[in-house]
Amino acid sequence: MGKHIKFFLEQSWLLLVASVFFGICLAGLNAWWEPKIIANEIKKFNDLAGGLLTEAEKFEPAEVLTIDIGKGKTVDTQVKKAVSGGDVVGWAFIAEGAGFQDKIKLVVAVDKQFNKLRGFGVLSSNETPGFGDKIKTGDFYRNQFIGAPCEEFTLSKVGDDKKIDSEIVAVTGATVTSESVVKILNNFISQVKAQMKEKGYI
Amino acid sequence: MDTVTVLLMGFISIMIVNNMVFSKFLGICPYLGVSGRIDMAFGMGCAVTFVITLSGALTWLIDYCVLQHLGLEVMRYVCFILVIAGAVQLVEMYVRKFFPAMYDSFGIFLPLITTNCAILGLCLFINLWGIDNLPEAVVLSIGAGLGFTLAICIMAGIRENLALADVPICLKGAPITLITAGILTLAFMGFAGMIR
Amino acid sequence: MANATDISISKTFIAGLWEENPVLRLLLGMCPTLAVTAAVKPALTMGCSVIFVLICSNIVVSLMRNLLKPHLRILMFTLTIATFVTIADLFLKAYVPDMSETLGPYIPLIIVNCIIICRAEACASQNGLVVSVIDAIGMGLGFTGTLCVLAGIRELLATGKVFEIVVFAARDPVTNEGWFTPWAAMGMPVGAFVTLGLLLGLVNLITKKQA
Repeated sequence: MGKHIKFFLEQSWLLLVASVFFGICLAGLNAWWEPKIIANEIKKFNDLAGGLLTEAEKFEPAEVLTIDIGKGKTVDTQVKKAVSGGDVVGWAFIAEGAGFQDKIKLVVAVDKQFNKLRGFGVLSSNETPGFGDKIKTGDFYRNQFIGAPCEEFTLSKVGDDKKIDSEIVAVTGATVTSESVVKILNNFISQVKAQMKEKGYI
Repeated sequence: MDTVTVLLMGFISIMIVNNMVFSKFLGICPYLGVSGRIDMAFGMGCAVTFVITLSGALTWLIDYCVLQHLGLEVMRYVCFILVIAGAVQLVEMYVRKFFPAMYDSFGIFLPLITTNCAILGLCLFINLWGIDNLPEAVVLSIGAGLGFTLAICIMAGIRENLALADVPICLKGAPITLITAGILTLAFMGFAGMIR
Repeated sequence: MANATDISISKTFIAGLWEENPVLRLLLGMCPTLAVTAAVKPALTMGCSVIFVLICSNIVVSLMRNLLKPHLRILMFTLTIATFVTIADLFLKAYVPDMSETLGPYIPLIIVNCIIICRAEACASQNGLVVSVIDAIGMGLGFTGTLCVLAGIRELLATGKVFEIVVFAARDPVTNEGWFTPWAAMGMPVGAFVTLGLLLGLVNLITKKQA
């Protein structure tokens, strides 16, 4: 038995020593860089939400809500309140759902009473370059949501994109992506609104 | 009913719509290397399907049950690759001992599989998509493996016929294979958006 | 004697750039080559990460080369590489977050990039420290160069820009200014495959003319 253990150690001591050493290295680096990584994520959220709620000075975590995204699945989303000089000026949260190719993650900003949408920003998406990614790069689609009422959005292929209402004109060549965004927004806004009302925030 | 739909959709999605080779560029090396003959390609596909199912399930278990509980996400890549390398070696030894005939037919591909990006890629995507139950992880792994087999067999079939074609000399071999693959991805793009 | 080593060092370096260019000649590391070359910036980031991992893993493997047991060799290589890739990934997440997001899972996929494991096996586990490092730099630069050329072509044709600087003015649908119609297919998988195929063909043509 002792012989076996000796043989085992002889063969693998380098692997074991290296594992421990590399493990310590990684743990150290992670401890050093992790605050920075988290700060980056918060900064990205704040930049996107701050661009929509321009009057907000900072965003504070308010509530973690569980949202049903269909097919028996749920996600947790953090709702943050936008604060300006001690007053709440709006709410921002991350909404996600399936897009054309991959998951789409949006930052959604609404006003204090959940009456009007202040717009959305794309946190991460992997849509077709040149078509679907216009939800991220172009203003045409996004601008239709700025100031739109927080109710069920509908998608149409022809219509007036300048008129701000709950009717949204799809991006040409990217109907599916446009549909996905509308679906994600409808789903999240209605559920967040209902849950926030229940919790007495509005 | 919901679960079954999710599983079925996930399966078709990863096998055809989001095929690893055509939409995520994973597993290109063996795809170019072994797709010369259709029987070799099929052997490779089977080996990959086998290993990908095993390692997909194992890495999901390790990630979900151990790493995320202990907050050790930083060790994820190291653990994943060790699990895959270990799984490949285990499978190789097992197959050699108990199924010598099978080992003769696709055993030679097994060591190559460790560096097949499709496998590590799938493990990472399962984690990225936030899959939170074992059946879904397993079904996705099997689908990815079959999708890879499908892609490599289609390619091998085309290449067998391409051997008879008159290709400009400087494009012979890898270049024409890549261009063919490009046209194939165009064909597979027709499935895009079918399942969400 | 010193002269002879100098020659072999410069030869190793040059070989990585052209004669044994990992992508164009050895057909290694195809997955990242195809996946990250939709634009120059991610391609460059990817190239730098690969150079970093390649140098570090070559140093470690070269230092350990006399201690390696044959059957545990590959396991040791992958362990080393995975560690350095994790470091590179953390670094990108901390200091270049938007690039880290664009590249997504393709950074961890450097672990299974055949270039690195191939150089560890073929060069670092048999040669001394200096040669291994030079080889890593040469190979890494060859890889990065190829990536950038490919990405340049694709980005130019797909968006009319190179390195996010406008070269061809894209046609505006409203004002009708500019003449270039962006070629969206170049940004998709098909563009990657076809461009790389044609590039390989071109390289074959040039080599044959030289011979």
